[in-house]
Amino acid sequence: MIQSNFSLDPVSLPGSLQVKLQQVRAAGFDQIMLWGSDLANHPGGFNEAVSLVRSSRLRVTGMQLLRDYEGRSPARHRYKVDIAMETLKICKAVGAPMLVVTSSTEEPAPDAQSELHDLRKLANLGVPLNVRIGYKAVPWAHSVRTASDAWSVVADVGHENFHLVLDTLHMLMTGADLSPLEDVDPNRIALVQLADFSEAAMVTDPDRRAAANHSRVFPGDGGHSTRLTEMVRAIDRLGYRGDYSFLVMNDDYRQLPASVVTDHAKRSAGWLTNQVLRRALQPRLPPSAREA
Amino acid sequence: MSGSMDHSAGHSGNVLGMDGLEFVEYATANPEAFGTVLENIGFVLVARHRSRRVFLYRQGPMNIVVDADPDVIASSTLQPDDVALSALAFRVANARQAYQHLVGNGAWPIPSRAEAMELNIPGVHGVGDSILYLVDRCHDISFYDVDFDFEPGVDRNPPAMHGLEFHGVVQTADTRRTDVWFDFYGQLFGFVPATSNREDSYAAVMTSPCGKFAVELLELPEDFARDPHWDEAFTRLVFSTSDLAATVASLHSHGFVFDPRSTATAALTRSVRGGVQFGFVAQGSRR
Repeated sequence: MIQSNFSLDPVSLPGSLQVKLQQVRAAGFDQIMLWGSDLANHPGGFNEAVSLVRSSRLRVTGMQLLRDYEGRSPARHRYKVDIAMETLKICKAVGAPMLVVTSSTEEPAPDAQSELHDLRKLANLGVPLNVRIGYKAVPWAHSVRTASDAWSVVADVGHENFHLVLDTLHMLMTGADLSPLEDVDPNRIALVQLADFSEAAMVTDPDRRAAANHSRVFPGDGGHSTRLTEMVRAIDRLGYRGDYSFLVMNDDYRQLPASVVTDHAKRSAGWLTNQVLRRALQPRLPPSAREA
Repeated sequence: MSGSMDHSAGHSGNVLGMDGLEFVEYATANPEAFGTVLENIGFVLVARHRSRRVFLYRQGPMNIVVDADPDVIASSTLQPDDVALSALAFRVANARQAYQHLVGNGAWPIPSRAEAMELNIPGVHGVGDSILYLVDRCHDISFYDVDFDFEPGVDRNPPAMHGLEFHGVVQTADTRRTDVWFDFYGQLFGFVPATSNREDSYAAVMTSPCGKFAVELLELPEDFARDPHWDEAFTRLVFSTSDLAATVASLHSHGFVFDPRSTATAALTRSVRGGVQFGFVAQGSRR
């Protein structure tokens, strides 16, 4: 794990696409995740937004986000495939090598094709555009709720363009056992998204969903630093050498200057790198805990 | 996940009823110059498209379409002297069913370019800007007869030089993308990995489900990753020949220069025109 492995998801940041690109670059990050909404809402239009990204000198880690895609009824499936195709075209336009897809939160429709068929279809759609599919479990999904569930799906889909995305916050919420990670092929992990949350136990789906969407914090600032460190060390031990993206949706951060948030991100990257490099030692307490 | 999931990943057999390459298409703004190259390989200009600047070359069982339609050239990234291998046409049992199967499984449809009184050939996106067409002869109507005017007095079925046949195409792939393309061709079209005696570790070969042609994948080495000059594309058409030495000698006499790595069973031309290369393999050799 080195500095250039870290990406910042601009969902943490206030402001326009232009401000976000500038702030991420100014904070010393080489790469950024993108959201379609950042591009679609750019006042100068989509093409100008693409040009801004292309000229930012930032590598695009990937594109967020396709939700509730698989297992839909035929009419809904056609709609979701349309959305997927348009999003893949955006990926190609901005040079995003991967599209994040989260596991469906809806019950499969009785007249749907199999979820594996739908996901293989998505994997094939990405191939000519040179866009990988990164599949991520969400804890409040209908059936694929854990990283282990998602890895089983990736294995069953059996397509080299279909990969796994891990989210440390979701993994912290859904279980302490890291042993299922040992089965994961590190070459099939497309991305690790990083965040922690407060000490509060999250048991119900609405609580988990609310915490994941509104009160994430940077690693080192949350309530699970030791477990999070063990998790990232385990991922590193697997042999994963890909990208880590800070995905910190936090209502408080959206009210602060972007530079305050990027300072948190930089500090977190330093803390996490130190934790992983000290892999033989006990996890160090985060700065906030040491000061307390 | 639900109990409705299937576990049918992997290669799909000859689900499209594939039966060889119906034609190979090149795009160029300079069809006369490239036509001369084709004629030197033994192809004959047999027909011209009724409504567009498109030419049909033929020898033996092989058809090559040269597309110089200004609209096509304008919508591409082709430079004036470029020649691009722009499409493969797979002969299938039923083109419409094949198209529906492919689109239903994640191929990108391409809009039809057919005009009035022309046949609509369904197709899907292939590598880069290429198109994979689907052609059948369900109704005993050849699209060549419908869309093309044959040259007066021409032999519509000129014989092949040294038994030349389509052997396959070479496609470039970005770093670590060979397996991705294997699954694309395997799961959608039913291609299967071929055993190869190649020493070149960057090359991997897939055979069509009908066994009549191959796609060879040439992967960008890790050291060159993110090279802006490397695009994924079809880069080379490969023929099989019953007499490789005679074929090479004939092409030499027409000014073709061969790569020094050429062997007794396989030969590769240097770039001919617009960056085009051709490969030739001896029939019966495993390559």
